[in-house]
Amino acid sequence: MAKVFIALVMSAAVMVSGASAAAQSAESDAPRVAKGAAGSAVGAAMRAETTADSTHSYDAGALRFETRWGNVSILRGSSNTLIGTAGWFRDPGLEQMLSSSPRALREVRGYETQNFRGSLAGGAGALATAVGIVVAANGSNDASSPILVIAGVSGMIWGAQHLSMSYAALSRALWWYNRDLSR
Amino acid sequence: MTRLLLGLCFGAYLGFGGPSVLSAQGGSYDESALRLEGHQGDLRIVRGLDGTVVAHIGGLRTPDVSTLVSPSEKAIAEAKIFSHDYGPGSWIAAAGIVAIGAGIGVYQMHDVERSIPTGLTIGGAALIVYGANRVQNAYNALARSLWWYNRDLKK
Repeated sequence: MAKVFIALVMSAAVMVSGASAAAQSAESDAPRVAKGAAGSAVGAAMRAETTADSTHSYDAGALRFETRWGNVSILRGSSNTLIGTAGWFRDPGLEQMLSSSPRALREVRGYETQNFRGSLAGGAGALATAVGIVVAANGSNDASSPILVIAGVSGMIWGAQHLSMSYAALSRALWWYNRDLSR
Repeated sequence: MTRLLLGLCFGAYLGFGGPSVLSAQGGSYDESALRLEGHQGDLRIVRGLDGTVVAHIGGLRTPDVSTLVSPSEKAIAEAKIFSHDYGPGSWIAAAGIVAIGAGIGVYQMHDVERSIPTGLTIGGAALIVYGANRVQNAYNALARSLWWYNRDLKK
């Protein structure tokens, strides 16, 4: 029960950062299209880098992730180099990062699916809960506010479960990727 | 009869707060490498390709991860950070939940000054956020600990 509460509080806390990330993403759409050619060049460079990853040693190339209020930082090697931040509708290009390991790739696809479902349900649930609380605070006596709060909290719990499943899939993906590194 | 009672007591000890960690074993990455997995709100440390569960983390119980990762010094150092932060973080967050619950209860009493439930709710929320932050730090230390442990395994 305590974990569910913590998950709910964390979900609510990261809603703001999630919304700003989505807004940031929408704002950056136009420049992204304009930079299509440059993007493909960067993609090729990333592919080259990930191919080279499989020849790295564990110390230099092994990945792990750490979470910070809903954001997932992907860190590499014993130097803790930050190579990407995932979470709440954000994709740091994990498929490209882990493409050298087929099992890791399969798990990371599971992570992406669960993370999207969890983020969507958690975000919608938090929004419904907030609206329900505002309606109740305004002295409305109809049935809409409890329904909104109950549906919202349920959505947040369902979302938190899927986010938890997504982290498990990401953990497995990095485990498989690290397994294939040389020592 | 005495054996049955002893068995029951031992079973209860294991079930309610006994050691929930299987000791670490040397071996290859495929056999021994550890990772974290969540399952139905319960966090687990699993080992190897077959995913044997070697420890449960959940609620207010802190498993002895240092024993699990004992061959690796850096892993032990991170495991100690986990132990240092996880227990207090869980208790503080739980205290926050109780404070919010009390705040909601007091709010229903009409003859009580409104500042009391408001203070309980705000204080409870602050405790939950602080506790959750410490639990989060603990999980990150745990992830680093397992990373260092896996590093020291054979290919």
